[in-house]
Amino acid sequence: MKHLPVLKTSGRARPRSPRRVGVILLAVGLMAYFLLPAWAAPESKYDSLRLYTEALLEVSQKYVWPKQEEELIYGSLRGMMNSLDPDSSFLTAKEYQEYLQGAKEIPAEAGVVLVVKKNLLTVASVIDDGPAARAGLEPGDHIIKLDGHMLRNLTTQEANRRFQGAPNTKLKVQVLRNGEVKPLDLTITLQPLSLNTVTAQHLEQNVAYIRIRYFNRETPGELTTALKNIKKQQPPVKGIVLDLRNNARGAMEDAVRSASLLLGNQKVLLAKGRSTKTEESYPGKDRDLIFKTVPPLVVLVDEGTARAAEIMAGALRDQARATLLGVKTLGLCGLTKAFPLEDGSALVMTVSECYTPKGEKIQGKGLEPQVPAKTAEEAKAKDKTSSKEMTPAQDPWVKQAVDLLTSGKSKQVAQKEPASPGTR
Amino acid sequence: MVRKSWRWSGVALVLGLGLGWMFAGPPAVFGQNSNLPASPRSMPASLFPSPVSDAKLKVFAQALALIEEQYADPKPTKDLVYGAIQGAVGTLDPHSSFMTPEEFRELQIETKGKFSGIGIEITLKDRILTVVSPIEGTPAYQAGLKSGDQIVKINGAPTKNITLMEAVKQIRGPKGSKVTLTINREGFPKPRDFAITRQIIPIRSVKARILNDGIGYIRLTNFQDQTDNDLQAYLKKMKQRLVPFKGLILDLRNDPGGLLEQAVRVSDEFLSTGLIVYTEGRNRSQNMRFYARAGQEGKVANVPMVVLINEGSASASEIVAGALKDQKRALVMGTKSFGKGSVQTIIPLEDGSALRLTTAQYFTPSGVNINEKGIQPDVVVEEKKPPADKSLQKLRDEIITRHIRREGITDKPWNQPITPAELEKDLQLQRAVEVLRHWPPKNLAQRPAPQK
Repeated sequence: MKHLPVLKTSGRARPRSPRRVGVILLAVGLMAYFLLPAWAAPESKYDSLRLYTEALLEVSQKYVWPKQEEELIYGSLRGMMNSLDPDSSFLTAKEYQEYLQGAKEIPAEAGVVLVVKKNLLTVASVIDDGPAARAGLEPGDHIIKLDGHMLRNLTTQEANRRFQGAPNTKLKVQVLRNGEVKPLDLTITLQPLSLNTVTAQHLEQNVAYIRIRYFNRETPGELTTALKNIKKQQPPVKGIVLDLRNNARGAMEDAVRSASLLLGNQKVLLAKGRSTKTEESYPGKDRDLIFKTVPPLVVLVDEGTARAAEIMAGALRDQARATLLGVKTLGLCGLTKAFPLEDGSALVMTVSECYTPKGEKIQGKGLEPQVPAKTAEEAKAKDKTSSKEMTPAQDPWVKQAVDLLTSGKSKQVAQKEPASPGTR
Repeated sequence: MVRKSWRWSGVALVLGLGLGWMFAGPPAVFGQNSNLPASPRSMPASLFPSPVSDAKLKVFAQALALIEEQYADPKPTKDLVYGAIQGAVGTLDPHSSFMTPEEFRELQIETKGKFSGIGIEITLKDRILTVVSPIEGTPAYQAGLKSGDQIVKINGAPTKNITLMEAVKQIRGPKGSKVTLTINREGFPKPRDFAITRQIIPIRSVKARILNDGIGYIRLTNFQDQTDNDLQAYLKKMKQRLVPFKGLILDLRNDPGGLLEQAVRVSDEFLSTGLIVYTEGRNRSQNMRFYARAGQEGKVANVPMVVLINEGSASASEIVAGALKDQKRALVMGTKSFGKGSVQTIIPLEDGSALRLTTAQYFTPSGVNINEKGIQPDVVVEEKKPPADKSLQKLRDEIITRHIRREGITDKPWNQPITPAELEKDLQLQRAVEVLRHWPPKNLAQRPAPQK
């Protein structure tokens, strides 16, 4: 048996580091201060913070290349916020100042909604006819590189900001798509989004079709126009297909106002925070109601349906007996708030979560449609024709919705509903 | 409590050295415990700067407290801290990572060297679960899985977003049970299912054959605990069988690496003196120089030697190829190697989780940073191109069939001479044999001779 060559240097014993003790003591002190009352607190909290300092110490001492401590700490904060939900983010001091100045007019953007899920930057939705859609980006794509750089450890907020900028800015992205062997290289040219968020048309068999691309402040007004036009139809429409697929952008207010057009003063959603005390409900306004009796309604949803669209879909299902058709929604529906930290950076954190009027939690779970969309193969076939060129009348899911409305089955399904929390 | 943490951290470093070098390859799925002897020596107290300033740590504690008070859905503190450590490690290189206790336990099972599975090494390449290589002679190999195959489903469940650990866990299972992998491969019109029965996978890393005219062929599939012992055994047998022992081919193609210690021992089989490899870390304890020891190489000291490498030769393979090339002990042939020259050390943390941290880089004796450049062969020989008249699919079907029929070069007993027909299928091997038959080659600046 041979022996190993002699090691020139080696160290088994850890170097004594008085700072380490200091750090741990400091951590204990901080626990006492912040995690009140530390002496009564479960030991696990103490252990957890100590674990963190231990890990950081190992990295700072042993990692082969020196690392800025700020980078490590900010990386930690990003990681911690990402582990919560895609809406929770970390903001550097500079980013926080921008955040405080409020939503700036975005000169141009990619027209895409991104979320970080399991450390992967994922395309939640691609806005119809937007720059990303024109470049060929699809919901479900994972973005791995931007302008040649690997994207790692980004928060959802940061990622979305990277896809905004001056008009005509070109972004080179590399994406992974399920079923493709090689990553795809796409170039997105940033442009302002075209104005309308709502389009409507009349389908065969006297069914109306409304598409909401995404929600903004103008959406309730545009939807009012569309619904009023439908109301004028003679003979009255047999039903309405409301297409909320691939729609992950929009504020709660816009959803509440939009849903109220069909629900009047009925409750649209519940938002619950840490204690029941912060439970709030958001009813709409009676004067917004357009139809005395809401026509039969099928709402199309998919894994790109999130936020405002999920609120609206949940409310229509619970209060107007709408039938949801498609696949399970994303389950991203929380209200966030910013909390400044003492070095000027800040946390953006989900402080309350959406529930449907009947109390089904949306955040983190998604809405299960009562009617699943037809086979995955057919959905795939849809993808292949590319949604850009396909008219709603050719869309298999729309056809399925029309069949449901004209056969009168939508009512039956809706009666049987809901896929309530109890039945899951 | 502070004292307790001290005790633990001591354990951490010893274990850290023990498990240390196993990830000296691209993410290999299995590894072995090494018994790297380390002479314990205390270090002076003030070698390292303070890791993190109090102010920054305070910001972190403030953030943690805020989340615990305000986040909509209460989370265990430990989950938050795991997220934070993951985030911190995410700012490092891609080979560094954090393992939860469950993931770390899994890793330790793997290091025992025997497991029940199908025998593939897998990695996440561009975030797609990809077969690095099927281990020869295992169910996966016999089923026809190939390097570069993408595993899109395991037992019908999509592998999108799956972690490597999770994938390993799902593919493993009790002996005799079946796992179905859905494979996407260039050339497949659509993904195809492979149903594979799990077996106990013995890890043999050394294979051998001989040629009629005194030339030996040894192939290393990875570097694990038994590699050098097995190599010695084959060298001994070859020396008895091949008289005269005219030449040796060391095939390191598609060898993803393994234990650093084994790379050093393997190199030492062929070198009598001189530097083999050195590592440099930021921490001085990671700066090591490994030398060949005189008197260890007796069996094959002067046998002319060709080392075969390709872009699948990584890490420990690159150490061996680099040392034998720099010392002019062997002619290195094939194509440029992978270029992964960083050492990962496993550092257990006190709650059973662990860090896998890049702690050092390797350099060949002449100072080549393997991490950037890989090893350049002395003689470039490309792999045999598929004939134009055959479809890729047909070609692969043939290869698979050959494997199933155990017609691969190392599927036969070691002492059965390689036939000309076998040689013809492997252009690089063929060239290596030619060079040894006409030794010394012009390309080699200096004929290998034991150096002082």
